[in-house]
Amino acid sequence: MTGSGEGDRVRTGIQVLDERLKGGFPRPSTLLLFSDKPTEKRLLAENFAVQGASAGETTLYVDFFRAPTLARAELSRFGKYPADHLVMVDAISSQLMVDSSEAYRIKDIDDLRGICDVIVQAIQEQKPSRIVIDSMEFLADHFHKEAVLDQWKRIIDEAERVRGVTCFLFINWTYHERDLSAIRALSDFVVEFQSSMRGGILRNSMRISEMEEGGIRTNWIPYTFKDLVGVTVYFPRIMVTGPFNAGKSTVVRSLCEKSISIDRMGTTVAFDYGSVNITGIEAEIFGTPGQERFEFIFKIFAREVSGVLLVVDASRPEDFERARHMLELIGPRIPYVVLANKTDLAGALGPDAIARKMDLPEGTPVVPTVATENKGVRDALLILAEMIIGVR
Amino acid sequence: MVDDLHPRIVAVLQELRRIPDVMAVALARRDGLLIAHVLPKSMDPKRIAAMAAAIVGTSEMAASEMGLGAFFQSIVDSGHAKMLATGAGEEGILITMVRTDANMGLVLLSVGKAVQAITDLLERAAVAPEADA
Repeated sequence: MTGSGEGDRVRTGIQVLDERLKGGFPRPSTLLLFSDKPTEKRLLAENFAVQGASAGETTLYVDFFRAPTLARAELSRFGKYPADHLVMVDAISSQLMVDSSEAYRIKDIDDLRGICDVIVQAIQEQKPSRIVIDSMEFLADHFHKEAVLDQWKRIIDEAERVRGVTCFLFINWTYHERDLSAIRALSDFVVEFQSSMRGGILRNSMRISEMEEGGIRTNWIPYTFKDLVGVTVYFPRIMVTGPFNAGKSTVVRSLCEKSISIDRMGTTVAFDYGSVNITGIEAEIFGTPGQERFEFIFKIFAREVSGVLLVVDASRPEDFERARHMLELIGPRIPYVVLANKTDLAGALGPDAIARKMDLPEGTPVVPTVATENKGVRDALLILAEMIIGVR
Repeated sequence: MVDDLHPRIVAVLQELRRIPDVMAVALARRDGLLIAHVLPKSMDPKRIAAMAAAIVGTSEMAASEMGLGAFFQSIVDSGHAKMLATGAGEEGILITMVRTDANMGLVLLSVGKAVQAITDLLERAAVAPEADA
């Protein structure tokens, strides 16, 4: 049989998410990619499909909207994959009366039973580890609700038999809340999508909830798409702040391959900036000046902040008060990690002592760092990323 | 409306870019994030957006400290070129790079027109119902 891939989990390819999911989505499971409006959720499904195919897993892609050649061309934007690992169910070419080289073709688009027979046959023969149905609203719009739900269950049952992870894309146009909760109940995970526009910049984010009691539930995770890279988690602004001479610019330099600093006589007068790309996370890093007289600069950048790295000099407890004040300037409910920098200096306080002296809320991470030697800085960013993404 | 905002903004930037001696154009948000750009490959648009925000923020602050009235524009006049950072509505900063020997009358007029077009686009996007989805 075609290689379905080994293991109990299928990876999303977004590393920080896979870690949260203990290695990926469990096999078998059912995902509902849901939104009330058309959003970018197909990106995640396509990313998911290409990740599978490029990892050598058999992936089944059911496309009601695009001819297979177009679908394959668009999927290749997510990176290279062996074409034979991605099996398409072609619903278009028979409507357009063009030839198709795909193994699975839907002949009559007005026959719900016939459509699902082809999908089920493909699942049984190919035993895919990943199945993408793009998308269920196509069926929901064309056929009677009860019949659609029956076939929906049938696909889930078949996928379970081959231990596949099935991804149903669904925009709700017509169904009522009662039907929606029935659909959610069929799913193991619901991934919701939203797009928002602020000041001319469009942001996409998603939230993953496990339906099981006490399951995983993330915050809204901002993401972005790049050709040939696929979907990555994207934080538009991580602020690096803290008192004068704590080592903020050094932290920015140590995190980012390329960074700029607008400084005079060793102190930042405007800001530091750099971008990072580690383990499936992309982030823009903004370092602020520490001195009070540059606070107006700080305020320019203190908007749409994803998270804060608060840098303090561990050997200077007299500055901790100022550090707390800077945190307040950014505003409430923004995740932050304290970097206890310069821990190599004599007289540096340990993380617990700093947490006590700063009167930090229980559980606030304090990470010992030596920014000049790249020690601990990256760990601090990863802890912050996990806090922003959030897990219950 | 929201979906086609970006191409519309890019169209305005491109039109400004076509004015003689205009070398590069970008639109940043006042908090230093990039909205759109038509810059040459050699420039990093995100850095330029952040710097323009700092320039405009600082200039605005200076204008208000010295009682100069409402801020309109900062011009960075340098060896080979000038950079104009112009406020575009509440949210935007239009960044225009022009050669030193450019016809500044024409440039300023064109920048003013582009600013008006961008202000309208951003305001309409802000009141569109999809805006806070």
